[in-house]
Amino acid sequence: MRFLGFALVLLLPLSAQAADPVDYRKDVKPVLQERCYACHGALAQKAKLRVDSGANLLKGKVIIPGKPDDSELILRVSAENEAQRMPPEGHALKPEQIAKLKAWIEQGAKVPADDAPEPDPLAHWAFRAPVKDARPRLAANENPIDHFVQAKWKELGLKPVAPAEQRVLLRRVYLDLIGLPPTAEQTEAFVKDAAPDAYEKVVDALLASPQYGERWGRHFLDIWRYSDWWGLGAELRNSQRHIWHWRDWTIENFNADLSYAEMIRQMLAADELYPTDEKKLRATGYLARSYFLFNRTSWLDEVVEHSGKGFLGLTFNCCKCHDHKYDPIKQTDYYQFRAIFEPYQLRTDLIPGEPDATKAGIPRAFDCNLDVKTPFHIRGDERNPDKDRAVLPDLPKFLKPDGLKVTPVKLPPEAYQPLRRPEIAMTYRVAVETKIVAARANLAKSEATHAGRFVLVRLALIAPHHRAVAVLAAEIAALEDAFADPTKAPLALRGAVKSAESNVESAASKSRPYPETSTGRRSSLANWISDAKNPLTARVAVNHLWLRHFGKPLVANVFEFGRKGSSPTHPELLDWLAVEFAEKKWSLKHLHKLMVTSNVYRLSSSSANAEASARIDPENRALWRMNSTRLDANAIRDSLLHLAGELDTTMSGPPVLAAAQEASRRRSMYFFHSHNDHNKLLDIFDNANVLECYRRSESIVPQQALALWNSRLAQTMAAKINDRLHAKLKDADDAKFVTAAFETVLGTSPTKDELATCLESLAELRAALKAVAEPEQGKRTRLQLVQALINHNDFVTVR
Amino acid sequence: MDRRNFFGFSGVALAAMLHRDGYCADAKWAPPDGKPHHAPKAKSVIWLFMNGGVSHMETFDPKPALTKFAGKTIKESPVPDAQDPEKLALARVTVINDANGQQRNKLYPLQVGFKKYGKSGIEVSDWLPHTGSCIDDIALIRSMWTTDDNHGAQTQFHTGRHMLDGEYPTLGAWVHYGLGSLNDNLPQFVSMGNREYWNIKDGHYLGPAHDAVPIRVDPANPLDYGKPEVPVTTAEQKAGFELSGKLNKLREKEYPGDAALDARIKSYELAFKMQKSLPELLDFGKETEETKKLYGIDRNETKAFGMQLLASRRLVERGVRFIQIQHGAGGAGVWDAHGGLKANHTRNCLAVDQPIGGLLKDLKRTGLLKDTIVVFCTEFGRTPGTQGSDGRDHHIYGFSVWMAGGGLKGGIVHGATDEIGFHAVEDRHYVTDVHATILHQLGLDSRKLEIPGRKRLDIDHGSAIKEIIA
Repeated sequence: MRFLGFALVLLLPLSAQAADPVDYRKDVKPVLQERCYACHGALAQKAKLRVDSGANLLKGKVIIPGKPDDSELILRVSAENEAQRMPPEGHALKPEQIAKLKAWIEQGAKVPADDAPEPDPLAHWAFRAPVKDARPRLAANENPIDHFVQAKWKELGLKPVAPAEQRVLLRRVYLDLIGLPPTAEQTEAFVKDAAPDAYEKVVDALLASPQYGERWGRHFLDIWRYSDWWGLGAELRNSQRHIWHWRDWTIENFNADLSYAEMIRQMLAADELYPTDEKKLRATGYLARSYFLFNRTSWLDEVVEHSGKGFLGLTFNCCKCHDHKYDPIKQTDYYQFRAIFEPYQLRTDLIPGEPDATKAGIPRAFDCNLDVKTPFHIRGDERNPDKDRAVLPDLPKFLKPDGLKVTPVKLPPEAYQPLRRPEIAMTYRVAVETKIVAARANLAKSEATHAGRFVLVRLALIAPHHRAVAVLAAEIAALEDAFADPTKAPLALRGAVKSAESNVESAASKSRPYPETSTGRRSSLANWISDAKNPLTARVAVNHLWLRHFGKPLVANVFEFGRKGSSPTHPELLDWLAVEFAEKKWSLKHLHKLMVTSNVYRLSSSSANAEASARIDPENRALWRMNSTRLDANAIRDSLLHLAGELDTTMSGPPVLAAAQEASRRRSMYFFHSHNDHNKLLDIFDNANVLECYRRSESIVPQQALALWNSRLAQTMAAKINDRLHAKLKDADDAKFVTAAFETVLGTSPTKDELATCLESLAELRAALKAVAEPEQGKRTRLQLVQALINHNDFVTVR
Repeated sequence: MDRRNFFGFSGVALAAMLHRDGYCADAKWAPPDGKPHHAPKAKSVIWLFMNGGVSHMETFDPKPALTKFAGKTIKESPVPDAQDPEKLALARVTVINDANGQQRNKLYPLQVGFKKYGKSGIEVSDWLPHTGSCIDDIALIRSMWTTDDNHGAQTQFHTGRHMLDGEYPTLGAWVHYGLGSLNDNLPQFVSMGNREYWNIKDGHYLGPAHDAVPIRVDPANPLDYGKPEVPVTTAEQKAGFELSGKLNKLREKEYPGDAALDARIKSYELAFKMQKSLPELLDFGKETEETKKLYGIDRNETKAFGMQLLASRRLVERGVRFIQIQHGAGGAGVWDAHGGLKANHTRNCLAVDQPIGGLLKDLKRTGLLKDTIVVFCTEFGRTPGTQGSDGRDHHIYGFSVWMAGGGLKGGIVHGATDEIGFHAVEDRHYVTDVHATILHQLGLDSRKLEIPGRKRLDIDHGSAIKEIIA
């Protein structure tokens, strides 16, 4: 409507370069698309105007071919008055862009014959249900992945490279599935196994090993933003204590192959779906992670943003301040989505045997404020809520036309009065009784010690012990009262400790009883996300898996499946896998196996002698070879320990604190890791950023070289690997040693050139160390070889 | 291409990262080529950040009215409306508690005297005589403001964003990203001293390749993993280094055109050079006693900071782009004088003053000052009103920073706070104006550095403070 408010505006004196013919497709359409389509295209038609095609521009009467100076489009984009200028947000168009628009109109506003308006946003591929392509006629035992990838090769005239050498393949699949390389013995056994299903057996064994859950659980904890707590000094400001229970839940359930849909349900709503199942309640650590002491809006912004990006590949965060510029998500939808989470707060449920929730407990979500209103922040400014607007929980219309159906959930009493759980009552009882036994013993001791003294003195001396016993007796009485009527239990005896509500915790909110019902909002959301009919969930998950198996995703931006994102490189394949995933009960292991047993996965990553394919598809989008990837920080450290025979495979439990990490031999995922606390070594290799980590960075910086040469860990592990090799090959010649060292550290045998180079270096080193006596000399010489191999590019690379 | 050494490669790494995430549909975008956008006036930056919040009134912005009206409320002062709610609206509160971030309305007298220095006659606190003696080389800005009234303002001063907005690249990361390297043997963006409250990262969405490399002024242990933690002879290690280099090169045959392999080979070459050059750089054996004295290295009170500043000069000599020094460990920053302001600032001024004076003089006499910008800054000022009996609270509405060298004017004061030092009232500047000024002098246009998918706002870019540019 602003557009129709006419005002003649002085034109900037722009030189319309009428002489140069303007290409609509190159110079006009992209500018309009970038700056105008969001409001005047398929998504919105403000002032009933669309500018997304030549025909629409004419229909809207904003251009008059041949008369740029009379065309509303030009008047508007070049208006000096900000109130008149289009676009209203951001910078004005650049003078050269305006000049092109003018010249184009001057030259008759010609458009190509096939010029078409923007397609309907709802027709966007990712917003429509995936379809399993009926066409593929799979040969017997043909992997559908191969079928689709081959089709692409054929289309582009690509010739795939040869399969990877067996040793390379084995190291690849080990690191991929369990985050640890095979030992030399495992490699030998595989190379010697002539059975046709030798590889499949390995895959099955790896998927069944507990290290699988650690490896893939950690991948998803990246996406779900796992972080231990942090704050300022001892003050907790972010995440929660004991959040590692959620980490353990993740590992256990990856190992158990719990359906991905069910994982989502438990993380978002276990407190409504399984209100008394403490094992499942650990899953809501996902919601506890985003806790922020100081600002509830920041807290929920993160939940909204990352639930959108992580589960759905939607960027809700783009519409906090205004309607989404690319997708049919309104600003209202942002706050409606937030409203789903609005009632939830956190509490730490006691663990039987430990009455102090700071020492142990399970941080979990629960609906605390059932009627709390969700604000609508005008232009996203929390200081400026729209007081007249009621925001109710809902989902964007285009995804859920019939709206989110919410049914409140009645909770069992043990859920909202955990003191009713006998094991929790017992925990309190045992704690006090232990104390009272000790106090009585002290009293008896005191009485005995002072037995011979004058009565008044004696009474004075034992009085404190009497008082201690009395205090504890009163505590027991209070406990008995609380057991008799848990509704009246004092805060300290509730069996669960509430985390302070962001910004608004008051005496009243602190002591309010836990509600007897839950709103049902989150379980409703969880059921919708995990519904096989949801067009996004399975595709997003498949893409994450594909990225980690193949080194590149099918959809380039793993958290952006909206219209701003890229199209999949293999759309039919993505859809096929997404449907298959849901059909096979959302089994991740099923998908893993499909992927790693495909022929594509087993290709070599070398592009030697493949110039023709490299020319056609230099980025390997069509997967005519495997991608090389850099190992992530966890796998680098874990591999070092593993090859040295030092890895402590203890699973689960509280994280290893910073001070103990240097000496610890546990897997890296068990290290305390938060925004403030990072392990130095892991950090250098781009450890997960706890704020957002949909993909790890793969930087290559000199500090990595220094860390692998100079860190105590790398040096010590190199020495241990050397020791182990020496134990077997002390008397063997250098050539044998070099071969064994290669096979141990890199998983492959050396080439002739590599062997020669190593032998030459060893000879030089030996000469330099001639003053050192044997056997020390030989060992030190060979140690440098082992260290050089740890610093080999292919140690930190999966080929 | 040659000047785009390995650290320059990190720009390419970012391009690869954006590309892999599908951001580069905009084919026009390319990573910076390491060349400035316009003729630069400066090559390097020494950034001195005082953790905790320096009192502007007791350092560079004297307010005799505070003494005159000591004990009176702000309502009774010459600026009675200073605390009107609309004047306080820019604050974005993160931490609500009684200990800090409160309005203090009873005026606290100045705790120190001031003297005029130099030809310019600018007044500087008696706690800062050495800085005062360099005042004719300094452009003093007395009209800064920020919005986070807690120490998240430390991050804000470096990124331009309030901590509730999330994590953004710091100024040093932008410089590193935009300009890359002048020296192949040293990291181009280094950090010394403790970061108390803010995140230890700099690159954020520009990538970890643009994080500052933390170094220590200790030739025996200058950086993490800077030398073998388990002793090994140089000859042995060198042989190992060379072997891995040769083996990596041999793999090029099987993996032709593998950019990661090439980058790794280069990273090892640079690592080896760094390992050699850093100890040499931090060995002050060849510096004269006079120079060491100039920086205060001969006195316990000034030694630690003095060594960092002498190291900075040596880094600048070798072409390092951005040296970020944080002064003051402990709490949320050692300058955070909620109580005992006089003792606190006496001690801290003493620790930094002579080294800073020494640095400015040394840079000047060696001719380096004309290419080097020295910045003295802090997250916010302190309240004109008293906290407790003898402290000042955080204050975001007006505070002082200064810059020197690198084509900036000396001996000038720009901007002013009101009579009691409460609000910046003349030529007000948000923190990003400092960034913009520095980038401008380095020849960079922050708008040209913007990357796809990361739209920046006008306030993120700020505007160069033209009045202090020579």
